[in-house]
Amino acid sequence: EGPENDPTADPTESQNIVSTVNLGCPLDLKFIALQARNAEYNPKRFAAVIMRIREPRTTALIFSSGKMVCTGAKSEEQSRLAARKYARVVQKLGFPARFLDFKIQNMVASCDVCFPIRLEGLVLTHQQFSSQTAAQLVNNTHKMVFTSTSVGS
Amino acid sequence: MSSRVCKHCGSSDIDVDQARGDAVCMGCGSVLEDSIIVSEVEFVETGGGGSLAVGQFVSSEGGLKNPTFGDGHFSGMGSESRAQTLQRAKQHINTLGHQLQMNQHCLDTAFNFYKMALNKSLTRGRKSDHMMAACIYLVCRTEGTPHMLLDLSDILQVNVFVLGKTFLMLAKELCINAPAIDPCLYIPRFTQMLEFGEKSHEVSMTALRLVQRMKRDWMHTGRRPSGLCGAALLVAARLHDFCRTTKEIVNVVKVCENTLRKRLTEFEDTPTSQLTIEEFMRVDLDEECDPPCFTAGLRKKKDQQLKLELQKKIGDFEDEIQEFQDEIDAELESCRPKLRGVYAAYTKEDILSDDGSSSSSKEEPSEGDELHAVAKHFGRELEELTLEALIKLEGGELEEEGQEENVPKRKGPSLASILGRMTSSSSLGLSETFSHSVRDDVDIDGTADSGELDLSGIDDSEINLYLLSDREVQIKTALWMAENADYLKAQKEKEAKIQKEKELGIYKEKKPRRPSKKHPAIRASTADEAIEKMLEQKKISTKINYDVLKDLVVKPGSSPAGAEDSPKVGPPAPRTPACTRRPAPTRTPLSLSMPLSTLGKRLQPFISRQPNKKLAVEQTKAPPPTAATAEAPPSAAVVESGPVLYDDVDEEEDEEEETCVSAMELLGGDGYGCDGDYDDGY
Repeated sequence: EGPENDPTADPTESQNIVSTVNLGCPLDLKFIALQARNAEYNPKRFAAVIMRIREPRTTALIFSSGKMVCTGAKSEEQSRLAARKYARVVQKLGFPARFLDFKIQNMVASCDVCFPIRLEGLVLTHQQFSSQTAAQLVNNTHKMVFTSTSVGS
Repeated sequence: MSSRVCKHCGSSDIDVDQARGDAVCMGCGSVLEDSIIVSEVEFVETGGGGSLAVGQFVSSEGGLKNPTFGDGHFSGMGSESRAQTLQRAKQHINTLGHQLQMNQHCLDTAFNFYKMALNKSLTRGRKSDHMMAACIYLVCRTEGTPHMLLDLSDILQVNVFVLGKTFLMLAKELCINAPAIDPCLYIPRFTQMLEFGEKSHEVSMTALRLVQRMKRDWMHTGRRPSGLCGAALLVAARLHDFCRTTKEIVNVVKVCENTLRKRLTEFEDTPTSQLTIEEFMRVDLDEECDPPCFTAGLRKKKDQQLKLELQKKIGDFEDEIQEFQDEIDAELESCRPKLRGVYAAYTKEDILSDDGSSSSSKEEPSEGDELHAVAKHFGRELEELTLEALIKLEGGELEEEGQEENVPKRKGPSLASILGRMTSSSSLGLSETFSHSVRDDVDIDGTADSGELDLSGIDDSEINLYLLSDREVQIKTALWMAENADYLKAQKEKEAKIQKEKELGIYKEKKPRRPSKKHPAIRASTADEAIEKMLEQKKISTKINYDVLKDLVVKPGSSPAGAEDSPKVGPPAPRTPACTRRPAPTRTPLSLSMPLSTLGKRLQPFISRQPNKKLAVEQTKAPPPTAATAEAPPSAAVVESGPVLYDDVDEEEDEEEETCVSAMELLGGDGYGCDGDYDDGY
């Protein structure tokens, strides 16, 4: 039931938050990858350790400079908590990790307007902001705010 | 040839003789025009006796060579290349267009689009085939021809999505609004391909009506128009007693069979499908349907709601069961105290759940499983009822009573158990995250810039789960080494190479790329001064003819052609490594009027920065020659697009390494400003 029946609730849902933080010390990626259960490291392909935690369900890219990107959280607080957990893991592995300059970089949210939308009209009238993806010219992207499909959500 | 009045006598009677090329006034006899330009065709006799028209053929777009009116030296290199590009493009577009049976007007428009794109440098970095196809398709869209992007991709054997991307980019950059494809455009074309013979027209009319109906029913939004056309044609064909199989339609329309089927089912859902053929041709229903994906979404929501209701109905039965359960519990406790004693160690919930399950199995055999689970949950959830669940429960109750018919007031805990079962993990999780977020809010305010990792809300035991034990580390290390053996080997070799180079002393550290540094813009009153100053500050390439530069200053009149060449060559100099380092730097002031023999020494000032100050002083001495050359061919001035950028003081350090610096960098980083202009300035 949730948001549709509760008039005071927020109809939009945050889907993904991307944030970055600086752990403030250089890291030995090989060591981290070999000591942590939830870490993968493939230096040939990408120069960072990919670590995941289950709660909040997020993924982090940890670089040897000590900078870290945390994605997949559903709210800002969760993103911060997740970033702190990753920093704690790195701390436990023996690095003097700190938690500097935590910053939210990107937020993606979805919203249901509960009525169908004429996509062609939207593109024509709001050409400044909308563009059609090449794939099938099906989904229009409204650059400022939302991605809409004709389902109405 | 204009009959006007004579200047002398005012008579308007003027005789124009084409043969003599004269215009004579008949009144006073004065000749008003002589050697009139005539536009007539003349013929000459050829050797074999035939006649040949006199003249040269000039093509409409001006041909390969631009007309040179005396400045042919300038427009030498650039225009040919541009004209060649255009010529090639025109040919290709015409070829493609003829394969698609497009008329010449469309192809001309496509060529114009291509010219626009070329001027905006959109063709750079893209395959010319793609660009041309995109131009042609843009014309198709704006003109409304029934050509699909698929056709173009068929001809070119290119992925249609790649073409689509190029096309969208082109439309965006040229600010051309390509109107959305109307499926009606494709109907006549497909009808022709399906070969209906005499009845083609009727079939296409029916199909058109169908497509229009589909449009009103929101079926065409976000769909491939060819799919809709296929479905409409299929139905129209059947309506007129042609049995076209889906396979045939698929071949023509180029969509998948499943797509066709889906469209047909969607159309089936609309009320129009219920009409008979005659009614359909006559009547147009007013109401419009929602798009199929919207109705599908609504249906899903309804399904979910139904599920919820069902589960709540289970709660109904749960009530009744609960009463029985209580009674039975009481009975059993009194009847079998010994057994209870043995199992006294077990928690009460287990007993309850056991009884619940046994009672449920006796009373309601059909719904045994569900009730069993519910009863179990009931027993368990008793303790773990959270406030949130209860609140939800209240909200849920009120909401139901608003909507449904006779819902008996239930007991609080049972609903909570239902809700608990449905959202048990999340309700538990919610409470945690609520408390966490409350704490986090405080944290966010508090630890603004401290930089220390705030451990509140982080469970150490959870973190420890993420660390491996020693044995596990060994295993993982072995696996990882095996996986990444190649990479490690490459790394070792690189290290070894660096070591060797360090020993030999020729190791150069790879510097990270620095952004090009900006220099103070040169202030000069004339173009010549600017050139001089630039020459002083810049490293000079071996390609510049210094003699000519010298001539510029000293001898203004001599060899203008040569003079014009060299400064032009200067900025867009070919990107050759221009390392002109002279071994023994001697500092001599620069003056363009220095004889060529001092070429070697003259270049020293360019290498280091210090003498520039001296040079500035020297400059003041050299105004007379510069002033003299102020009127030197002004067209010798280099087309500088913006403030000239130079390398900074770090030139000193760069000396040590023999880095090959490109001419672009010599002239300052972003040479594309000059280059781009130069390209277009033909």
